[in-house]
Amino acid sequence: MIDLADVSYAYPDTDHYVLSHVNLKVEPGTVTGIVGASGSGKTTLAKIISGFIPHVDGGELSGSVVVDGATIADVTLSEAVSHVGLVIQSPFNQISGAKFTVREELAFGLENLGVAREEMAERVTAVAELLGITGLLERSPYALSGGQQQLVAIASMIIMNTPVLVMDEPTSQLDPGGTRMVFDVMSSLRDAGITLVVFEHKLELLREHADIVHVLAESQLIASGPSRAMLADPRLEKWGIGSTRFTAAAAAARDRKLLSKDAELPVSLTDAVPEFRAFAAKKGA
Amino acid sequence: MSTTLFDNRKSVIHRLNPVTKLIALLAIIVIVFAIPLWWVAGIIIVVIVVPAAVISGSGGRLLKLSLRILLPILLVLFIVQGLTFPGGTTVIWQWGIIDITSEGLLFALGVGSRIVVLVLASMLLVLTTHPGDLMSALSERGMSPKFAYIISSTLQLIPAFRVRADSILLAQQARGLSLKGSPFRRIKIMLPLLSPLVLGMFTDVEERSTAMEARAFGSTAKRTALIPVPDSTVQNVSRWVLIVLALAAVATPIVLGLL
Repeated sequence: MIDLADVSYAYPDTDHYVLSHVNLKVEPGTVTGIVGASGSGKTTLAKIISGFIPHVDGGELSGSVVVDGATIADVTLSEAVSHVGLVIQSPFNQISGAKFTVREELAFGLENLGVAREEMAERVTAVAELLGITGLLERSPYALSGGQQQLVAIASMIIMNTPVLVMDEPTSQLDPGGTRMVFDVMSSLRDAGITLVVFEHKLELLREHADIVHVLAESQLIASGPSRAMLADPRLEKWGIGSTRFTAAAAAARDRKLLSKDAELPVSLTDAVPEFRAFAAKKGA
Repeated sequence: MSTTLFDNRKSVIHRLNPVTKLIALLAIIVIVFAIPLWWVAGIIIVVIVVPAAVISGSGGRLLKLSLRILLPILLVLFIVQGLTFPGGTTVIWQWGIIDITSEGLLFALGVGSRIVVLVLASMLLVLTTHPGDLMSALSERGMSPKFAYIISSTLQLIPAFRVRADSILLAQQARGLSLKGSPFRRIKIMLPLLSPLVLGMFTDVEERSTAMEARAFGSTAKRTALIPVPDSTVQNVSRWVLIVLALAAVATPIVLGLL
């Protein structure tokens, strides 16, 4: 579904390559997490996959970017957005400001594409049901919480029938409730067959939702693996990403020989419960 | 939080097609500036702007917002023109070397009444027209959606600017910034706050433009509308009448020899 081959990129008027020889393959219908320290190039990579680089930001891009069968550099941005959608950090800045209700806001992208009114109405209803926001349709987009606004932003992308959705730190400006709301919706999107690429700092939640995780550091996708193994990898500390409290606690327990040295470190509470139960049972015996 | 000044009501004025209101505003501006008689502006305020504001139900907000803009302008205008109008001979008040002339005050009245009409009518348009409806209505008439968006988003700029300025100010006050003191000192303190304000606005604009492009805003397809902006034959005729009136106003001073 996504195939990046030997991609390097430098912003205009600079010789510094933010990304260097990046390779990435994403299978259809999967959730891919990408983690990296601040300034590691996550937003740049998100913009490359979604076509904003080179179509808007310019700069020097080499290598090949193919999404949903389209070579992104060869199509216009308007065409690229029919293959891949982008959700950015600020829910507020994704509201067009041109629409009065959430219903109209969702239809904004379809209006731009000249979709017939009846089809627009049907697609608005369908996407609102998929994301569980039917109750918000008649409200003003500005009267919503940050989490609800971010769901509207996601729905505004999904409604355009994009098979791929790139989410660039979609919960960085949300409270815990809003963050949970956005992550919960990812399951519905995956079930609907949408391929997700999520750039995130929240490792616990990423562990629960991502199938595979890549690490962006030193201008490259430096490591990758199944979400639990990758997010518990001790090298994440070195790359400035850190670890979850469950990983840290289990690692400390392992160092003190309280856990087996072969035990797989947990990342989330769901991972940790069986590990600590096993430990408690062993201790009790 | 809303970023527009739009006052959501169901009045007849609110329901008018935005293009009708825009043409009415432009026609009023042309008329008051083309005819050099202060009472023409007065009549327009009394007969058109005030009744429209009352019917819209937004009269209170209009008065409050307009006074904030108009009071300093009118005060400066009357003081400066009253005191310094060249050729003023009829002194109506004198104090030391200061003379206030009736010619100066009349000139200030002429300019001031036009500014009052301009501000009141523009603010009424902003209060009774949702930017999105204005954008849709202009796009339906063939205007480039990008240009239409620039016009409609301008209406949103002031509240968004104020919200950001307030948060920057609060952040600085939390670090001990004091706004007490003379007006000069306060201006001096506020100046360094401009750079985060402007830079922040640039970031917002970039993010907003990315979000808009991700929703095919740059598409060249013929746009459709989920909910079309209502229009009527009566309004269409009214728009042409307004255009004719504006043109007649331009011709009137020439015909009557008022110039």
